[in-house]
Amino acid sequence: MSDVIDSGTAQARDVDATPSDAPPRPTLEQLKERKARTRQRLETGGDIMTISMGPQHPSTHGVFQMVLDLDGEVIVDLRPEIGNLHRGVEKLCEHRTYHQIIPLTDRLDYNSAFAMNHGFCEAAEKLMGVEVPARARYIRTIAHELSRLANHILWLGVHIMDLGTQTFFVICFRDREYLLDLFEMLTGARLTHSFARIGGVAKDLPDGFEQRCRKVIEFLPKRIAEYERIVKHNRIYYKRAKDVGIFTSEDCYAWRVTGPTLRAAGVARDLRKDEPYAAYDEIDFEVAVEYNADVYDRFLVRMTEMRESCKIIRQCLDGLPDGPYVARDAAHSLPMKRDVLRDSAAMIQDFYQVFRGPQAPKGEVYRAVEVPKGEMGVYIRSEGGAKPARVRFTTPSFYHGQAMPALAVGEMVSDLVAIFASVDVVLGDSDK
Amino acid sequence: MGLIDVIKKGVFVDILRGMSVTGTYFAVDKMTVEYPKEKLQTYPRFRGVQALLADPETGEIKCVACMLCATVCPSQCISIMGEQTPEGHSRPATFDLDLSRCIFCGLCEEVCPEAAIVMTRHYELSTFDKDDFCLNKEKLLANQVYAHKELYRQPVGNVAPSGAAAGEPGGVGDRADAKEVQR
Repeated sequence: MSDVIDSGTAQARDVDATPSDAPPRPTLEQLKERKARTRQRLETGGDIMTISMGPQHPSTHGVFQMVLDLDGEVIVDLRPEIGNLHRGVEKLCEHRTYHQIIPLTDRLDYNSAFAMNHGFCEAAEKLMGVEVPARARYIRTIAHELSRLANHILWLGVHIMDLGTQTFFVICFRDREYLLDLFEMLTGARLTHSFARIGGVAKDLPDGFEQRCRKVIEFLPKRIAEYERIVKHNRIYYKRAKDVGIFTSEDCYAWRVTGPTLRAAGVARDLRKDEPYAAYDEIDFEVAVEYNADVYDRFLVRMTEMRESCKIIRQCLDGLPDGPYVARDAAHSLPMKRDVLRDSAAMIQDFYQVFRGPQAPKGEVYRAVEVPKGEMGVYIRSEGGAKPARVRFTTPSFYHGQAMPALAVGEMVSDLVAIFASVDVVLGDSDK
Repeated sequence: MGLIDVIKKGVFVDILRGMSVTGTYFAVDKMTVEYPKEKLQTYPRFRGVQALLADPETGEIKCVACMLCATVCPSQCISIMGEQTPEGHSRPATFDLDLSRCIFCGLCEEVCPEAAIVMTRHYELSTFDKDDFCLNKEKLLANQVYAHKELYRQPVGNVAPSGAAAGEPGGVGDRADAKEVQR
């Protein structure tokens, strides 16, 4: 097993403690052999047909185009066309202050907007050396995990719908509604939250949020069990997902594929554990790992992650500290609204932050966070002043989309939708 | 196929098992609302169309034309021209907000030092006329009826909370017959 758990993880953790009835873990060699067996690379003697899948194809989850070379039903070559949704977010960031960039990051991965806000703010705080108060870190953790739940539930519904059922999609949307409801209560918007701020969050938890959040967290595990009852032991799903799209840990490193896809390949890599941010180092949770590296195991990893998210949120609500929800840092963060209305010093800080902006030192930083789809890195180069000289988002969907040739060449074209959905690509995230 | 399977097929066991799941959903509350007839009540923080608030006692606009909202707006949809009243107060002469540019991020509300510009709960903004997207000062003041009531309770300075003032929405035109659903 030691060769499956690669040394690439920053921290070796105890992953041996599995129940004895668990199926034996495949080694890397066995996985490679299985991968070679499931992929039928035909001799290119036959007629090759080139077709275009997308950009309007519903199973490409947006404007993603794949140009397929097909020999019969087997994919011989695949060329992903990325960039149809390019909006120039990185360039726009150069003309905005750090506060004004936060609404732009909502539009990267709109299914888990808070995670994107959070990643940018973590990077900006690292650049400016802002200390985030404890309450803000806990609120961020709660919102981050809520967005992970919302993203995974949406992913599940869409993934199963791609495989040909309609009802399950509606079931997932019913439960996602509870999470969007919580987000509307907490942040004021259902999708584009703009909730993280440099040094904290925009607002404190509203009245009644805790009770409502606890209620949702209590029954979501039951709903997750319901999903598993419907999907996990479903013979049709099992046959369409098992041993399809095998992507070993070696492949993941070669293509920079992260997140649930990497964890389904047996690598316990999770930035929440490896490089903790927000309140994750004070919270007890497990990293979901599976070992078969196929579509089915990616589904299992996400199910376990959703359960762990519920656990994290419950712990955060239990241990929520008091205090300010945004850092009292006049040079870098917006003041609390209630102070602005009462206190002239806070009002001066408000004017300073808007007209001059947060004063960042010269330098460059890179900070990565574990967003639901994988690792989202933010690189900021600053020449000093309120606006960054260069911002670069290394968003997971971009790498997952470009890894499609390695994932799908040799597979049947009917499995392509399952494979594409299983790595979880959102085109707003990919094209930026 | 064994005898048991034949009996199972004969009395539709699988269908009954499936229908029992369907049947349980008759007993639970339904998740959906019939949208134009019923509407979900938005939460107090919901970020709908902006409104400019007037002082409930004097009726004067609270905005002092400090330009914070116009400066912080990431999509630059607010333009303000300030003026001085004869008493020496600063007031906006014009306050234009281009809704077709607005991204509803709520930064204008957050930075306003007078709590003068607020995001309201009104979200049904489709229109047949593009000019309706250009909100001037009068239209923004008229949007006060949509403002969340809790904003009026925000203490400003050392003044005691003034209670619910102009907050209650009156007739909302053709939408008055819609029922609001509490979540």
